[in-house]
Amino acid sequence: MSPTLFWQVFRLQVVMTLRTPDTLHVFVTAPLYTTLFLAITEHADRRDLAGFAVLAPVLMSLWSMALMAGGELIGHERERGTLEAVVATPARYSSVIAARIAAVTLLSTLSLAEAWLVAWAGFGILVTIAHPALFLLGLLLTAAAMAGTAACVSALFVLAPSARILQNTLSFPFFLLGGVLVPVDYLPHWLQPASKAVFLSWSARVLRAAVSPGPSHGTTGALLAVVLLGLAGFAAGTLLIDRILRRVRVTGTLARM
Amino acid sequence: MDITASRVVDVTRVVRAAAANALADFRATYTWYSWTFGWLGRMLCQVTFFALIGSFLHSAEQTRYLVLGNSVATCVIEAMTVVVSTSWERAHGTLALLAAAPSEMGWVFVGRSLQWPVSGCGTSLVALLVLDPLFGVHFAAAQVPVLVLLVVLTAFGTYGFGLFLGAFVLAAPAVRNIVYNAAFLVTMAISGVQVPTGYWPFGVRLVAEALPATHGLAAVRALADGASPAAITRPALYAAVTGVLWLTAALTAFRLSAQRARRHDGYEFAV
Repeated sequence: MSPTLFWQVFRLQVVMTLRTPDTLHVFVTAPLYTTLFLAITEHADRRDLAGFAVLAPVLMSLWSMALMAGGELIGHERERGTLEAVVATPARYSSVIAARIAAVTLLSTLSLAEAWLVAWAGFGILVTIAHPALFLLGLLLTAAAMAGTAACVSALFVLAPSARILQNTLSFPFFLLGGVLVPVDYLPHWLQPASKAVFLSWSARVLRAAVSPGPSHGTTGALLAVVLLGLAGFAAGTLLIDRILRRVRVTGTLARM
Repeated sequence: MDITASRVVDVTRVVRAAAANALADFRATYTWYSWTFGWLGRMLCQVTFFALIGSFLHSAEQTRYLVLGNSVATCVIEAMTVVVSTSWERAHGTLALLAAAPSEMGWVFVGRSLQWPVSGCGTSLVALLVLDPLFGVHFAAAQVPVLVLLVVLTAFGTYGFGLFLGAFVLAAPAVRNIVYNAAFLVTMAISGVQVPTGYWPFGVRLVAEALPATHGLAAVRALADGASPAAITRPALYAAVTGVLWLTAALTAFRLSAQRARRHDGYEFAV
């Protein structure tokens, strides 16, 4: 996909998202989840965990937005009757999907500003980032991995009988396995190996290290895991979407996809 | 048959027909395994997610508080789905027909989304009776009928509140998910699910008092603590009263909304 085409698709998705209030619901849920988590930690007199409570809604927003985008892009094209026309264009459909998901995911990183503001204005807590470069790198790689994983999810949505159920199902199990608020060490031992396959667990580790004072050990491996798992998701998604499209073109069942 | 009795029969008939629609909708959305392994599994993960915060804080008391609150909150979340499903009538293009029908529209919507509080009661009870013991919250067999009653009260009281919000979302279906998410998250924040209501400032506590979930949950907590019947009955009664008040407000809102829509042709098709 050429950079020009990527930019055009990216821009189109940003405009479409901004004009559909419902797709922006994470900007309403992120400050509310921040309030929930901070209320719990403040009530327990654990201000040292404020950074964790601010980061968790950001990771949750990124994941929710990617799931929503992954699940509904193809569905909306199908409902509007534009899927056939988009697939018939010379641009590779899986790349168009990836560019659109990247736009949505990048938009949802704005929830970080919201969460930070809730902590500051609502609870009088100034969350500082001890390692800004690590934080920025971690956030960007997380957003990229999220987009890659969402590409895979969008393929699953095509195959699943009910996209909405899948969308609902994939939220909290992944927040739990990904240790977005409570580190995965607190999960039962038998569940901990599974969390290693979820890139969110590595992202949470990097971002938490970035907001914690003191040296940040072991983050290089975690960053690498985020990249590798994101790439694996993207490769699997691209492969699946391409194979599904090839098949429905042969059988003439694109409209029923 | 006098006029009042005939009206009750009419309302029952309308709610029953709408409830049949709700059941059909539910069966089209879920199969028994997608409900069990999809929805229920997801909600149990949500309860576990919050319960683990208690473990993270190294507090057995906090864990108990969070697991109980969030188990009851599952029925609140599900009952509140009425906000979303009410607006589906506009996407189906059937709202104008409902507005033209002789029966009162509000009662149609009361029956239309009954699948959610019923399913929510199931979710909450599984969480309370199966998941909570793993985190130290136990109910004796003799307490279970009361527990069921309290969960039903909480779910249906919240359903009245959700219906009220749904009456407004009918006019702006594009924001249905935003209103739904905001409504259940605010309820989860202020009604004693995560922290006692006393944690919040006076104004917020006042809003919490108007929510059936606050009182339903207080009654469940009293039951779990083995409190006296009076300590359980008082919040349960408040939950029932606030639920009925919200239902009355919802029916009024639907009535006014229908009158306004008839005058201004406001119920056109909208996704």
